[in-house]
Amino acid sequence: MVKLSHRMSRSATEPVLAVKDLSVILSREGRPSRVIDNISFDMFPCEIVALVGESGSGKTSIGLALQGLLPREYLPRVAGSIRLAGTELVGAGGRTWRSARRHLVRAIPQDPMGALNPTMTIRHQMRESNGGSERSIKDWLARTGLADPDRIADALPHRLSGGQRQRVLIAMAMMARPKLLIADEPTTALDVTIQAQILDLLRDLTREQQTAILFVTHDLSVAASLADRVLVLYAGRIVEMGRIQDVARNAAHPYSAGLLAARFDLDSDRRRPLPTLPGERAPLINVASACSYAPRCPIAQPDCMAIRPPLEAASAHGGAVACLHQEQTPLLSTQRADAKPWPAVAVQETAALRLSNVRKTYPTGTRSFWGRRQSQPVLRSVNLTIKPGECVALVGESGAGKSTLLRIAAGLEAPESGTVTRFDKLGPQVVFQDPVATLTPWLTIGEQIGERLRGVSLDSEYGRRRVGEAIKLVGLDPVLMDALPAEISVGQCQRAVLARAVIVPPSLLLCDEPISAMDVSLAATTLNLLSDLRRQLDMAMLFVTHDLAAARIIADRIAVLKDGELVEVADPDAIIAAPQSAYTRSLIAAMPSLPAGGGR
Amino acid sequence: MLAYLTKSIVGAVVVLLMMSFIVFGLQSMIPADPARAVAGPNAPPETVEAMRKQLGLDDPAFVQYGRFLSRLAHGDLGTSVRTRQPVSDDIRQYLPATLELGLASIALGAALALVMAVLQFLVPGSGGIRLAMVGVGSTPIFLSALLLSYFFWFRLGWLPGSGRLGYRDFAGPTGLNLLDGILVGRPDVSLDALLHMILPALALALPIGIAVGRSLNGALHEVMSQPYVRTARGKGLSETKVLLRHGLRNAATAPLSMLGLQVRLLFGNLLIVERVFGWPGLGLYTVQAFASADLPAVLGVAIVFGILYILVNTLIEIGQSIADPRISL
Repeated sequence: MVKLSHRMSRSATEPVLAVKDLSVILSREGRPSRVIDNISFDMFPCEIVALVGESGSGKTSIGLALQGLLPREYLPRVAGSIRLAGTELVGAGGRTWRSARRHLVRAIPQDPMGALNPTMTIRHQMRESNGGSERSIKDWLARTGLADPDRIADALPHRLSGGQRQRVLIAMAMMARPKLLIADEPTTALDVTIQAQILDLLRDLTREQQTAILFVTHDLSVAASLADRVLVLYAGRIVEMGRIQDVARNAAHPYSAGLLAARFDLDSDRRRPLPTLPGERAPLINVASACSYAPRCPIAQPDCMAIRPPLEAASAHGGAVACLHQEQTPLLSTQRADAKPWPAVAVQETAALRLSNVRKTYPTGTRSFWGRRQSQPVLRSVNLTIKPGECVALVGESGAGKSTLLRIAAGLEAPESGTVTRFDKLGPQVVFQDPVATLTPWLTIGEQIGERLRGVSLDSEYGRRRVGEAIKLVGLDPVLMDALPAEISVGQCQRAVLARAVIVPPSLLLCDEPISAMDVSLAATTLNLLSDLRRQLDMAMLFVTHDLAAARIIADRIAVLKDGELVEVADPDAIIAAPQSAYTRSLIAAMPSLPAGGGR
Repeated sequence: MLAYLTKSIVGAVVVLLMMSFIVFGLQSMIPADPARAVAGPNAPPETVEAMRKQLGLDDPAFVQYGRFLSRLAHGDLGTSVRTRQPVSDDIRQYLPATLELGLASIALGAALALVMAVLQFLVPGSGGIRLAMVGVGSTPIFLSALLLSYFFWFRLGWLPGSGRLGYRDFAGPTGLNLLDGILVGRPDVSLDALLHMILPALALALPIGIAVGRSLNGALHEVMSQPYVRTARGKGLSETKVLLRHGLRNAATAPLSMLGLQVRLLFGNLLIVERVFGWPGLGLYTVQAFASADLPAVLGVAIVFGILYILVNTLIEIGQSIADPRISL
């Protein structure tokens, strides 16, 4: 492997973590697959290394392998070597692993909502951590920026917000003074403004504690705002590694270059489709003698299918790359054909949906002694009109009332007061956040799409033709009509959900955070597909998101919701160029971005 | 909390009214004739008629029901046709034995459930436990009770097979012999009571343990794959600690509901098991009441069991809200 030593001081220091020829094989339903394929890397004290890749690239498995917490039901087989602070962990017994988890390696999870025991107070959970004395509990909670450590310590997790829970988890991990901290997408489930604070906190703590952080993410811009080095992972192999600025500026592997091109931010071109990575993630190729990216690679040559490219010095930067044709990669950005601009949307001056003075309160969980539930306003007098053919993005943080507004627009909930007018007999269709969860596991894709054709049998020639058309419209292979949801990828499930929504085109499509759980390339693909569908089928759309960049790309107007009130409704570029409210300004300021000059 | 308790009490009254109505309706539907039963099989028809009048059985149904309800409100459950004593006195006499056996079965059943569910998690290759559970679970209670009695009493002679105490004249303050022995300083009585209790309590506890154990095992499987369990493992806790501290409490809600259901089935099983082991409790009393069409007695026991069931349900719900503080009552 290639040694990277861009800091002089490092040559004197021992690595905290030395991973050598690590392979992991997991068996799912009796089929073994090599999720990590022969990877080697070192980490040094104080260093932040980003591990970047799409979902399914094996990046989470690396994090789990380093803690010895690979799911037992998948019968993990681990080969190679993991040396953590001098201790060899591959093949070590339960006692060694437990001691390593107690003293050396800690993790911050992706979803802070589920990662704390719901029936135990924070104090009890922190006490279990190494070094969890009463004083240090209070100290650490305060150090992570929690204003009222005593109250937080005695609270149960469900009383805390997502940001507070993530701070608690960081405190719990850092109080053990680990040598290595694994942060698995620690900010994806959080609001943008909180994201930035959490990243700052992590950066400060590592400097103070001499902890190395392995920062697992699919988002290169988040990685760039934090990390020193980056490892780009594809199908369980490291395809590129180097200093983050180098890789962001001069990606040497076509995959890294594709990831960079697919990311979108507040400056992306919104007049035409976003660039995306070609194809879906291919199933892991278990042949040792091929480049696993070759099937998707735009510059693949015949030899890419015959030789596994070794990780060798990159010519574009001081790092390393596993590509036989790395000199071709820079050509990719110039080759990238400019897509045709979107046709203009014919917005009519009527209304597809009108909400007037909509209010809603929810009961809170707490009851008074007399048993009366307290209630809390979620929406306070919202007025919003969506014109036929128009797309309005509803932006706000969690708890702002976005989802409630969408459910009221869909007719799934009644407003407490105010009126909802829909100018079409056909009800609106809703696309939810998790496409896999919204498909019934035991019905085929075709059956679920065809269900919306009332009275039409799927066995009939007409029924199959209609379903086939809808499937083609969303860019799915018609062969998948007879597949079950578990047999297809997340991206394909998302397309199936959209096909179900548009087989009888609604005049209004409601999307609830449809891309927030997706990696960059899949998110861009979904945004393109939605933009295309609404134009082809002339649908109005309400797009709920916490991501201002996505809102700007898809919408004709952006509505900003804060604490149940619309604080701003305007043209996307106008809102970003000249935000009228302080809240919108803080949203924009919190957007992560690549360092200047990077990416494009 | 106050609102919850009020709601529980109102619910209990409604359920009791419905129950009294149903049992009362049954009384007028079944062909057995209490007047004939009291008068005896050889009594002349005039005597039977006189008895019918005396018992008020020739009044219209709603009058009988009204009379019955007003007596009920005064704690009067009528007079047993068979024992010729007030049913409330009979119940007072037999209830402690049943309470003692019932509580012991519930405790033993819950303990069995806990041990089986936890062992399946901590001991690898515990498929044998599962198989044994299926075997025991598919045995009907009258058979398992007979088998226990046959082997441990008749064949091996290890444990007493009938009655609840070897001392004839012992009477303690609470009527619960196990407790009374300790209270009055007679540990020998407590030990004897315990030995008498083992076989019937085990027969009753097996179905409880299996149902609750399976429910607990399923809930544990779900809980142990939750992210917060990974957090706990990530702190370097041992698997036993993770299971006991983080797993059990979070898995408690569903098995507690199952325990509530099993207590209801327990009331039915008590009739069989008390009969098999000659346990002088409400179950045996009810079986004998059936035999002589003693409707006041059956009705009285039904109402007592109804009250107990509502009480158990309330306790279970309170237990659930303690296990999971997010449930507010």
